[in-house]
Amino acid sequence: MLQNKTFLLLLLSALFFLNCKEDKGIPGKLPPTQNPPTQKVSSTIAYAEGFSISTVSDFKVLKINNPWPNAEKTYRYVLISKEEAAKRSFMKGEYDGIIITPVKRIVVTSTTHIPALELLNEEETLIGFPGTDYVSSEKTRQRIDNGNVRELGKNEGLNTEVLLSLNPDVVIGFGVDGSSKSLNTINKARIPVIYNGDWVEKSPLAKAEWIKFFGALYNKTAQADSIFKTIETDYKAAQKLAQTVSKRPTVISGAMHKDVWYLPNGTSTEAQFLKDANVDYLYADTKGTGSLALSFETVFEKAKSADLWLSPSYYPTMDALKQANTHYTQFDAFKNNAIYTFSNTTGKTGGVLYYESGLARPDLVLKDIIKICHPELLPEYTPYFFKPLK
Amino acid sequence: MKNKYSYSFLILTILLLVLFCVNISLGSISIPFKTIVSSFFTATDSLSNQEYIIQNYRLPKAITAVLVGSGLGISGLLMQTLFRNPLAGPFVLGITSGASLGVALVILGSSIFGGFLATFLLTKWSLVIAASLGSFLVLLLVLIVSSKVRDTMAILIIGLMFGSITSAIVSVLSYFSSAEQLQQYIFWGFGSLGDLDWSELQIFAFLYSLGIGFSILSIKGLNTLLLGENYAKSLGLNIKQSRLLIIIATSLLAGTITAFAGPIAFIGLAIPHVTRQVFNTSNHKILLPAVFLFGAIIMLICDSIAQLPNTDYLLPINAITSLIGAPVVVWLLVRQRKMVF
Repeated sequence: MLQNKTFLLLLLSALFFLNCKEDKGIPGKLPPTQNPPTQKVSSTIAYAEGFSISTVSDFKVLKINNPWPNAEKTYRYVLISKEEAAKRSFMKGEYDGIIITPVKRIVVTSTTHIPALELLNEEETLIGFPGTDYVSSEKTRQRIDNGNVRELGKNEGLNTEVLLSLNPDVVIGFGVDGSSKSLNTINKARIPVIYNGDWVEKSPLAKAEWIKFFGALYNKTAQADSIFKTIETDYKAAQKLAQTVSKRPTVISGAMHKDVWYLPNGTSTEAQFLKDANVDYLYADTKGTGSLALSFETVFEKAKSADLWLSPSYYPTMDALKQANTHYTQFDAFKNNAIYTFSNTTGKTGGVLYYESGLARPDLVLKDIIKICHPELLPEYTPYFFKPLK
Repeated sequence: MKNKYSYSFLILTILLLVLFCVNISLGSISIPFKTIVSSFFTATDSLSNQEYIIQNYRLPKAITAVLVGSGLGISGLLMQTLFRNPLAGPFVLGITSGASLGVALVILGSSIFGGFLATFLLTKWSLVIAASLGSFLVLLLVLIVSSKVRDTMAILIIGLMFGSITSAIVSVLSYFSSAEQLQQYIFWGFGSLGDLDWSELQIFAFLYSLGIGFSILSIKGLNTLLLGENYAKSLGLNIKQSRLLIIIATSLLAGTITAFAGPIAFIGLAIPHVTRQVFNTSNHKILLPAVFLFGAIIMLICDSIAQLPNTDYLLPINAITSLIGAPVVVWLLVRQRKMVF
C-alpha cells in the first residue's frame, strides 16, 4: 500500500516535471501535501453552507461543498497572488484550480453573479456572459452596450471557442448536476471553472453571503464582509419591524400550468421571506425540495379567500391571468386587485430584475413584501421588485 | 345480429354513466354526495367553494374526458381502416406531431419571431389554432403523399418521418427559448383534461361533433375499404371521396383534441384494438359506437386515477393513459394470440 503511494507520488512528480514548461516554468518547490500548515478561517461565514475560505500560509483555499443539490465532491481552489504563485507550485490534482488574485478578467454565467461584481466595484473585470440580454443592472448594461462584454451564447451550450479566445482568469459557472460539457472543456483548457452554488443555499441571507466568495476572488474580503453586514443588519431590522404587527394577512403564491398549481413549499426561501415578513403563507407548513404541485381543487378550497397573491408565475396583467384560466377570477385576491408580481420589473433588454438582484439583496425583497403586506410599517418605502398586477 | 350486441352496448352504456358519476365524485378534496347533487341546482353566483369545483371544474373535466377518449378512439379506428394497418393512429401518422409543431412555434418561436407572437402567446386560443393548423397541415401532406404512393406502409413511414422532422424543429426552437417557454411547452406535452372552461368546452364540443358527423358519414366507405380498394372500386364506391371524408373526420377529431387537451398518448392506437378483441367484428356500424363507449370509459378511468383521489397531487394524464393502457393491449393480444383486424 505504502509502496503504491510512493510510486504514485513519484509518477505524479515525474508528470509534473514533464509538464513544467506548460506551467509557465514555476520553480519546483514542492508544496506540502500532508498536514498543511495550520489553517485558520480568515473570513467567517455565518449563513452560507456551500463554500468556505481558509488561509494556508501565503495563499487561500476556497472550498465549494455543495455546488448543486446532493453533490458528492468538494471542490478546492487555490487563491494566490501573482508574486506568491511565482514562488511555489502545486501538485497536480491536489486542487481543482489555481486562481491568481485579484482576478482581472472574469466570465460569469448567471445574472445572480452580476450584482456581486457591481457591489464590489469590479464590473470592469467582466469580459463575457452567456445571454447578455438578461442583464439589467445599469453599470453592467452600459458595458454590454459599449461592447465590452462578449456574448457567449447560452449557458447550457456555451460558445466554447469564444470563451477560450477571451482567456479569462476564471469562469464562474453553475451546474445543475456538474455535467456541463462546455464547462468541462474549458476546465481542460486550463481555465479554472468555479461552480457557484449560491442557488442551493437554504436561506435568503445565506444566498446573499456569497458576495464574500466574490470578495475573496478580488482580494476584497473586508469590503465584501462589510457589504454583507449592512445587508444582514437591514434584513434583521426589517424582520424585527414586521414582528410588531398583530394582523397577519393570508397569502398565496404561484399559478397554474394547465390544471396543476405550482407554488413554493414551506421550506423554500420564498416561504422564508413570507415568514420573516410575518404573513400567514397558507402553505407554510409544507416541506420538500422543489415547488409544490397541487391540484386546482385543493388550492381553490384553501386559498380562495386569501388576502394577497404574490408572484402569479409570469403573467404580466390581470387580463392575461384571466385569459389563461377563468378560475383565477374566483379568487378574492383577484377580485380585490391584490396581486403583486416582480415579473414586470425588467431591465432595458427584458431581463427580470428580481432574478438578477433579488438574491444579492434579500433586504430589499423582504421590505417589498412587508410594504405590500403591512403598508403602515414602511410608509416612505417604495417597493423595488414587486409591483401590483394591473 | 342486433341481439348479439345489444347486451354489450347496454352494459357499456351503464358502465359509462356510472364511471362518469364516479369521476365527478372523486378528486383532491372530498365533497359530500349532497353537495354534488345540490351543485347542479344552485345558481352560478351563489355557489360555495365545493359547488364551484363540481360545476366549473369537475363536470367540464369529465365531459372533456368523454370527448377526448371517444374522439381519439374513433380517429384511431378510421385511420387503421383507411390505411389497413393496425399500427395507424394519430401519433403514428404525425398528426399529433403536427399539432406539437404548431404549439412549439407559438410558445417557443415567440422569442425568435418576437413582437406580435409574444403578445398573442398568452391567450389559450393561440395554442388551439396553432395545434389545429399544424395537425391539419401534416394530415394534408400525408394525404397528398398517399395519392402518389400506393403503398400504405410507405405512408405510415412517411408519417413517422414527419414526426422526426417535427421533433428536430422543436429541438432547434427549444435551444433558443427561455426557461419559462420551455416549461410551458413541456406542460402542454403532459396533456390536461381539466384546463377547459365552459365556453372553451362549447367550441371543443362543436368541432368534435362535426368530426363525429363526418365519421358516421364515412361508415359505409370504411366497411367497403376493408375489402380492399380494388374490390371497393368494383362495388362502385368513390374511393377518393371516401378517403377525403375519412381524413377530414380524423383530422377534425385528432386535431381539436390535441389542441384542447394536449397530445394524449396511446388511446387512439389502442382503443380500437381493445374494442375489436371484445366485439370481434369488422362492421363499422358496430365498431364505431363501441369504440366511442370504450374510449370514453377508459379515459374516465385514466382521469380518475390521474387525480389521485384524496391527495393534493395530480399525475400527468398522458403518463396514465400509457401506463394503464399499453399493458392492457399486450395482455389482450397475448391472451388471444392474434390481432383481430
